[in-house]
Parts: sequence; C-alpha cells; structure tokens
Amino acid sequence: MRAIRNFAIIAHIDHGKSTLADRLIERCGGLAAREMASQVLDSLAIERERGITIKAQSVRLVYGAGDGSRYQLNLIDTPGHVDFAYEVSRSLAACEGALLIVDASQGVEAQRVANCYSAAAQGLEIIPVLNKIDLPAAEPGRVAAEIEDLIGIDAHEALHVSAKTGEGVEAVLEALVSRVPPPGGDSDAPLQALIIDSWFDSYVGVVSLVRIKSGTLAKGERIRVMSTGGAWQATRIGCFTPRRTDTERLECGEVGFVIAGIKDIDGAPVGDTITHAERPAGKPLPGFEALKPRVFSGLFPADASAFENLREALAKLRLNDAALAYEPETSGALGFGFRCGFLGRLHMEIVQERLEGEYGLDLISTAPSVVYRVTTESGEAREFENPADLPARSEIAKVEEPVIRASILTPHEFVGPVIGLCEAKRGRQQSLLYHTGQVSLAYDLPLAEVVLDFFDQLKSVSRGFASFDYGPARFEEAPLVRLDVLINHERVDALSLIVHKDDAFARGRELVDRLRELIPRQMFEVAIQAALGGQIIARASVKALRKNVTAKCYGGDITRKRKLLEKQKEGKKRMKRLGKVELPQSAFLAVLQSRRDP
Amino acid sequence: MAKCPYCDFNSHVAPQVVPERAWRESLIADLDFELARRPAASPLAAIFLGGGTPSLLAPETFAALFEQLAERLDFGETTEITLEANPCTIERGRFAEYRAAGINRVSLGVQSLDDAMLKRLGRIHSAREAIDAAGELHAAAIENFNIDLMHGLPGQNAAAALSDISQALALSPAHLSWYELTLEPGTVFYRRPPNLPDEDDLAAIESAGRAAIVERGYRRYEVSAYARPGRTCRHNDNYWCFGDYLGLGPGAHGKRSEAGRIVRTARIRSPTRWQRLAGSDQAVYEREIAPRERPFEFMLGALRRTGGFTWAEFEARTGCRRASIRRTVNGALADGLLMSADGAVRATTRGLLFLNELQERFLPTY
Repeated sequence: MRAIRNFAIIAHIDHGKSTLADRLIERCGGLAAREMASQVLDSLAIERERGITIKAQSVRLVYGAGDGSRYQLNLIDTPGHVDFAYEVSRSLAACEGALLIVDASQGVEAQRVANCYSAAAQGLEIIPVLNKIDLPAAEPGRVAAEIEDLIGIDAHEALHVSAKTGEGVEAVLEALVSRVPPPGGDSDAPLQALIIDSWFDSYVGVVSLVRIKSGTLAKGERIRVMSTGGAWQATRIGCFTPRRTDTERLECGEVGFVIAGIKDIDGAPVGDTITHAERPAGKPLPGFEALKPRVFSGLFPADASAFENLREALAKLRLNDAALAYEPETSGALGFGFRCGFLGRLHMEIVQERLEGEYGLDLISTAPSVVYRVTTESGEAREFENPADLPARSEIAKVEEPVIRASILTPHEFVGPVIGLCEAKRGRQQSLLYHTGQVSLAYDLPLAEVVLDFFDQLKSVSRGFASFDYGPARFEEAPLVRLDVLINHERVDALSLIVHKDDAFARGRELVDRLRELIPRQMFEVAIQAALGGQIIARASVKALRKNVTAKCYGGDITRKRKLLEKQKEGKKRMKRLGKVELPQSAFLAVLQSRRDP
Repeated sequence: MAKCPYCDFNSHVAPQVVPERAWRESLIADLDFELARRPAASPLAAIFLGGGTPSLLAPETFAALFEQLAERLDFGETTEITLEANPCTIERGRFAEYRAAGINRVSLGVQSLDDAMLKRLGRIHSAREAIDAAGELHAAAIENFNIDLMHGLPGQNAAAALSDISQALALSPAHLSWYELTLEPGTVFYRRPPNLPDEDDLAAIESAGRAAIVERGYRRYEVSAYARPGRTCRHNDNYWCFGDYLGLGPGAHGKRSEAGRIVRTARIRSPTRWQRLAGSDQAVYEREIAPRERPFEFMLGALRRTGGFTWAEFEARTGCRRASIRRTVNGALADGLLMSADGAVRATTRGLLFLNELQERFLPTY
C-alpha cells in the first residue's frame, strides 16, 4: 500500500488535462507509441468529438521514481463539465490527491474552484500545475497568485509544465509520489469496495470501477452489493493500463474493475459498497447522494413508426447512464415519445446526439424545461416536468420553481455585462468580490433561465472569459404563467412554456417572430399566435407560397426532376405535420433562439 | 458560338467543319441498334431534331438521313418533323431547303424580343434577327413553327413580359412555349444568380401573360405550352403522355416498352465518343422502370397537360392497375389539386400551380 498513489486531475475542458494524461501514460509505458491514439482517456466518440469527459475512467501506471522505488499510480479521470459535477465528486472519493491543472495563459475558472473546494473538503492533497507554460502569453506568476487568492491553497511551488512539449512531466510524477499520501485502510478487515462508476459492456455485462477501502478482493470470490443485497461471483477483476488487464487480486487501496455477471447497472449502483458474501462488512461506505435529473425535454421520433426503436435506444443508453430518466409521453402535436430527464443541457445534448448518431434516430426535441411545483386551490401540491401539463391558472394557488446558487468568475472588464445578464435572467445578487485578476459573483438564478441559454450568453457577454458553476436547487415561489402557442388556431402542446408573468408579452412576441422565420412558406398561410390563458398576446403569419411548379420538362433526362421531387419529399419527412401545416424540427426549439443577444 | 448562362443541356463546341456524313452514318447505326431492340415499329408520329443546334447540319444531310429512315420506318407527309433553330446561325437563309428536305416544323429559340435582355441572357442574336427569322419561316411555307419565349427575366415586370408576348405573337407562330427562367444547377446563373422578380411579381407576370396569350387564340395545353388549334407539338405531347420515343445521338434520351418491360435509354454524352461507339451497346445506358416507379414517372408528364389523362391511357402505358394509385388520387381530389371530369383526370388550376407538390405524392414509398 505504501507504493500506491491514487490521484485525480482537476482541469477545465481546454486546459490540457487529456494531453497531460497522455504524457503520463506515455512516460510510464502504459501504451506503446503506436497505440497512443491521441487522448486515450476520452473513449466515447462524443467525448472525443467535444473534447470533454463524461464517465469516470481510470488508468494504472507503474512509475520508477527518483528514490529507486516503483510506484503504482492510479489516475482516476474526472468529467470536466458542470452537468457532471456529481461524477467529479465520486471520482475524488477514490483519491488521496489531485492535480489542479490551470492554463498559465488564462487563469482559474469557477468550476475548478468548486471542484477544488470539494477535493479539499474530502481531505485531498492538491498539487497545482501551471500548464501551457510554453505559450508566449503564459503568466505563471499572476495565475499562481490567482490560485492562492481564489482557491486558498499554496501555489508557490506550483509545477511549471507543458504537456505539449513534455516539459515538467517528470516533476509531476515525482510530486505525486512525494506529496500525495499513500492510501489508508486495513487490508485484514472485511472487504469494503466503493463503486466509483458502473457501465454496461455488451459482452461481459456490468463492469464496475471500484476503490478498495478495506480488505482485499480476489478473483472468483462471492461478493455482495450492499444496498441491493444481490450476491454475485467476481468472475473477473483487474485494472486499466489503460487496456483492460485481468489480475488475480485487488489489494487494499487499489483501484480496479470488477465483473460479476450483473446484467443491469442498477444492480451495481454508483456509490454503493461491495463486500464479501461470506464475511460481510458491518456497514457500507458513506457513498454519494442520489442523482436527480434537473432538466427535462420531450423526445419524439420524427417518424412515428420509430417509437419502439427510440424506446430500445433509450433503454440501451440507460444501461450506461444511470442519470438518464425517461417515461412515455403523448403529445397532441408530436404523437408518442418520451419525456426525458437530464443532469443539464450538455447531458441532454449528448444523449440526443448519441440517439441520432449511434442509433440512427431522427428526433424532434422540445425546449428544455425544469420541474415546477404547483399547489392548487384545493391545497394539493404536485410537481410538473412538462409545461403543457400545468393546470389552468384559475386552479393554481402558487407555483414554485427551482432556484440555484450560481458562482461566476469573470475578468474585471466584463463585470458590468455579466451583472446585466444575471439581472435580465431574474437573478438576485448574493455577493461580489474583487480578486487580483478576476471578480467572483454569487447569484441566485432560476434554473429555468439557466438551462435555456444562460451559459451561452455568459460566454458571449464576456468574450468567453467568464466561467460558471452551480449547486443543488431549492424551490421558490414565483409569479409564473404558461405561455401557449397556436398554429392555425390549434394549440401546439409541445411549444408551451412557463415564463415569468412580467416577461410573458415580450417572450410571446419573440417566440412568434422566431417561429415566423423558422416555418417555411407553404401552400396555405400559416397563422402563429402566442396566448396567455385565452388571451392572444402576439401574432404573426407566414404567407402562402404562390406556386411550386417546374417550368420546363422536355425530352431529356428525367432523373434530375425526380431527384428534385425526392429532395422535396425528404425535406418534408424532417418536418412534423400539424393539420395541414408542416413544422420544421427547429420550430420546437425556437424558444432557445428567440432571445436576441443582450 | 457560346453557351448561355441559364442552359444546362448537353452542349459542346462544334469543330470548324462538322463531319456531316460521319454523323449521318453514326445516327443510322444508332437507329439500327435501337430498332433491333424494339417490337415491330409502329408508324412514326414525329421526329424532333433538337437539343441545341442541330441546324449545324446541312439540309442535304437531313434529306439523306430521312431517305435512310424511310427504308426502315413507316413515315411520310403527315409525320411532324421539327428542327430546333436559333435565329442567328447559318440556317436562316436555308429554311426553304430544310423544308424541301422534309422538315415541316421549326422551333425557334427567341427567348426575348428585348435586345438588352437578350444580352443579359447571353444570347448572340438580336430581336431584329428573330423577327427576320420568323418572316423567313413564313416565306419558306413553314407556318407551323414554335417560338420559345422566357419570362421572369432579370429585372422584368409584367409590362415588359406582356410586350415580349405581343411582339412574339405578332410574328404569328403556330405554337408558343412560354416558360419561366429557372436557375438550373451547374449553370452560370445558378452560381451567380441575377436579380430576378420576386414571387409576387412573378405571379403577376404569369396571370397577365397567360390571359394575353389565350386571348390571342392560343390554348394552354401544358404548363408552359400554348398552341393554335391542331398545332400542339406531337413530339412533346407524346413525351408528356408517357409514350415511347427513340433517342438517338450523343446525350439523347429515349423510352421503349417491351412485353411487360419499360426501359429508359440514354446515349453517352461526348459527341466524339458517341460517334465512335454508335451502333454498339457501349454507346447506350439503359434503365428499366420498375412497375412501382411507373405511376410517378407517368404523372411527371401527364399532369403537366391541361387535359390530364384517362384511366385507360394510364393502364395501357404503365401496365399498372388504377387501384395502385387510387388512394393518392382520391387524396389529391379531396385537396382540390386534381379533378375528374369527362372520363379524364387532370390537375386543377391550383394543382397546376403546385404541380411539384402534387407529383411528389406519386413517388413510391420505400
């Protein structure tokens, strides 16, 4: 155990985490050079495409240190986006130390502050690393001061690294050995293995990434998942180098995988404790709080006959994504689909991309929404995940919406616009502190505004420099109303949204205008209206096409004409037909685009 | 000679001296290849010498060609033989000779009678030349001629379009093809679109133009085709009716029905390669039209005709039962895009305006 070091890397998306991880793997000989597909940690296609990490992953490295000893270094990778903050905390629970990577040319960002606070709260040794030191714009002195100021850790001895050139990588490995404490735990005690992550592999079933907190686990032993009580045989155990490598045992303090023939990730929930069936531990490890989806959206197949395919695809994704929730939903406009719950906008987009990219589904999604708690006049309280389901105004005594505490870091020059944005989003300022390089702001913001477009707008008003993190939500009462959209005088349930009553007229106007731009001209005029209760508050119309006919058709090649009509037909397939009106898929997300940049 | 910026035909620059004899021989070889694959030939209703500038060939060449044709096919005085011609090229003094060779109809590519507009369209003839060409046709006793006229031209308004129409009809053609300028992919105009009239202006041009043409005694029998009584273009009408036709020469398309099969044919596009390979199957591409594709292909032409089609024609030409498209037809009838009267099914006025929407409904579903 003395030769084991478990560590995480805390870094912003483009601050160079994956590149540094690659360097560490390369230096320790985990993969031959020809196997080093760039950024081996980000294995899901989407993670690679977007340069972000979603699932926790681990790599075991063997490092021959300067003191002549060989050390086992377990890198537990953490996701880098606020939607997956929860997954960060569970990765940290498996570690005794963390590398905090900060881009020496940019500085600290809000999420990293949050991650560091939780790392520090868990008693981890944090080693600051200033990366991209090779860039001409690097300002290691300023950034080190900022780390001390904002995070409150000693950054005097921050390591200067260029993951790109390899400079300073050796010093990182030495620091891990000398500064991160070895894991504790009693190897003779009953087994307690913390499940850091579980995923579904179509060949072997559920694979669980575990950290042995006490005892040891050997291949073939009978194990018990403590919350479910399910007993299984650990048919395979091992570690990632980063290739999956079988071993005979996992010792106390080690990180590795367990395969026990479990067919469903709910059979090995993240945060649960695995123990021996015959000699069980007295109690489970503390674990983590349960995941709750916070953002909801309806997903409907563009082609109604693909409903079952969508159900199957969601079930398959769910195998690997315990945070994804879904239940059948019927929409008057969109037919049969599913109301899905996500951790946040990014999670939502990733799920949609995977459904379309990996499962070949053509989907229509409705604008993201949050959970509203409605108390009716009769005193009954209910939660609604779908704006269209909200009862009539006359029946509602009060509506509560989720509100989050947002932490924002921004360079001084953007403070004004950032405050302006937060105020426009119905935010209430809680604190404002000036630091050397940046200003930290705390705002209470309605989650509904955050999930709509807050992040994009924050980036836009701060030219990409402001950063943002938020914690759990609480409910607060607000004067909210349901805004409906009527197309040719029929309410389209999938377009309903909940807005603050003071914003209702402006939002209705914007939405109607945006829909007018999105709906193509058709054979008939299309009337678009926004309504509050029975009152029409905004209207617009899409003029009818005058004609659609090809002027010339003589003895030549008919294939071109055929292609034209096939293309026309294909275009309609991507539209949703409501009565006689063809609505493009983008119309259902019009609300996301209806606001002009402030 | 230059290519017009709106034209997407198979066009090639001709050599200084056109090897006319070789061309004729290749055409006959091409014909023999095709005839061998057709059932006993029915009388030839029409010959169309077109798609570009066939008048590059001399009248004697055509005379010799028709002689060889007559040895193989049943055709005579009543067969419509159309030559496509431009008002500027060498054929103008030769109309009488063409007439003597057997050509009894000419389609003249006038396009506009406004010199400024002709220039913008990249045409190399003038309005004067067009007017003279029409006079020469009358003088050569080719009264049966068509004028191709475009509308919806860059910067055009209804008054300008009407002026073009009245000048064109003053030349007393038997037939007028009045069609809207379309930006075809692969053309100069498509890459750099000119400033065209907007939808509302186009609609105004069309309704005014159509009324003016009809008032002068021309009947609209197809989306863009107008004719004096008895002067419809038999060749085109056969094409629109899903009839069979032989397509000979580089880039030419044809269609033939055999027992239970309908085949579209196309010749290779390169003139030099075609000349070398004519008469062999290497000059030809063939594609069979599967039964499920036929209703759509039938409707592509038939619904362009103001007279539409009869069910008997549909069944005879496609070999499909009317039941196979009854639901689609009923839907379009209910939506007011089709009408059924006097034993014929035809597009309504609205159906003709939205013909692409109507025809799309007949695409086979996969």
